[in-house]
Amino acid sequence: MQYVEINVTVNGELYNKTVPANKTLLRFLREDLFLNGVKEGCNEGECGAFTVLVDGEPMNSCLVLAAELNGREVLTVEGLAQDGRLHPLQEAFIEAGAIQCGYCTPGMLMSAVALLNRYPHPTRAQIRKEMEGNICRCTGYTRIADAVLLAVEKMDTAEKNQSPQRNQKVLAGTKK
Amino acid sequence: MLPKFDLYMPEDFVEACALKADGAKPVAGGTDVFVNMHGGKDKSARVLDIKRLKELQGQRFSESGLDLGALTTHREIEVWDEIRSRYYAMFQGCSQVGSVQIRHRATLGGNIMNGAPSADSIGPLLVHDAVVTVAGPDGEREIPLDKFYTGFKKFDIQPDELLTRLHVPLPPDNAGSAYYKYMRRNAMDLALMGVSAYVEIEDQHFTSVRIALTTSGPTPMRSYSAEQVLLGQPVSDEIIVQAAETVEREGKPRSSWRSSAEFRTRLLHDITIIVLHEAVQRALKPVALKAEAIPMRQYPGLDGLKPRPKMEDVSCSM
Repeated sequence: MQYVEINVTVNGELYNKTVPANKTLLRFLREDLFLNGVKEGCNEGECGAFTVLVDGEPMNSCLVLAAELNGREVLTVEGLAQDGRLHPLQEAFIEAGAIQCGYCTPGMLMSAVALLNRYPHPTRAQIRKEMEGNICRCTGYTRIADAVLLAVEKMDTAEKNQSPQRNQKVLAGTKK
Repeated sequence: MLPKFDLYMPEDFVEACALKADGAKPVAGGTDVFVNMHGGKDKSARVLDIKRLKELQGQRFSESGLDLGALTTHREIEVWDEIRSRYYAMFQGCSQVGSVQIRHRATLGGNIMNGAPSADSIGPLLVHDAVVTVAGPDGEREIPLDKFYTGFKKFDIQPDELLTRLHVPLPPDNAGSAYYKYMRRNAMDLALMGVSAYVEIEDQHFTSVRIALTTSGPTPMRSYSAEQVLLGQPVSDEIIVQAAETVEREGKPRSSWRSSAEFRTRLLHDITIIVLHEAVQRALKPVALKAEAIPMRQYPGLDGLKPRPKMEDVSCSM
């Protein structure tokens, strides 16, 4: 079995690890770094529960090899909250009732972060298009779209009040 | 869990060619290969990651057209303004592949070399007359994309050669193109049927026509006889319907669990009318307006294909 040494930044922390060549990013995050937010659904890139940001872009961690990630930056749902305070998107998901079983939620949140990096004020149609790769089997997508719009409102209010609520780490971790 | 394999990530092109000739499985985005590996369909013992090869990277738009590295992702095509204004069918095809996550990884070269008849980027590339470059240790060759396919998942490529680049010529200002993908849900589905069209119009006459069919045979294919029906003719609803009937006769879709061949054949007819109409409308627009979506026109007898409601109009009660 071939092993590969990688230096990868996950949620702002640099890790030096040796991984088997055939290990996916999803397994690496869950088994080596114990970041269990990222979920394994279909393992075929269909479900979206696997979504993490690699260099700011949403990717299917079940179809990415950990060995490819040398020198790259990964953001998972665990990296959203900062100083014990939830990310506005996380707050909005709770307030809008966009969660039922919660299995899809980490992937939904990561796709929503990527969406807001690209369209800071998205329309409902843009939300649906940009989050088309995330499948939810419980709540339906209406409340999830509601939650994203609510998060936008929260971020705008926070910006107006010049509070540092908008997560600086998230923005720093995303190359545009 | 992926099967055990040895991973090669060469930066040297000749080394990559040698590894491929030796039986290593080339992988770019991995959105097809790793799916097959997870499913146990692909048990390659050696995997060749080609993402570090400079020969396959980069993409540029110039006066002579598009020069795309084989590693260009579908997302890069989707968000590229020049593609939208000059190569609208490519925008439509690439923006409907899988999901955002898939499109960030999946490459045009991979879409071609996977060889699926339902590949969404290939029809638009065919109608835009794309030329592929394959290179090996002995040099490079340029092959028109429609000659590159020699059969189901078979290509005009040697074991030690890699697909390196795509060239798509610049369409003139009087050109328009369109692609329509028929699928059962709005994302994460393969094309049940797809038709692409490219037209150039001068004095209300078709001066150049290309039509390509997706999921209608062992490979994505051109419909040359339908192109001949339109070429040189004045633009009219009647001639477009005639072309659609020719496409219907030329396409050879199969039955699968997704749909019956009969339904697919009917779709070929109806979708051809839709894309030809859209391509004509776009050809007549000035370049600055070609990037805009054109509302689908309903023809008599097209009752099977009602336009989808706009997302804003969809109301879901909870």
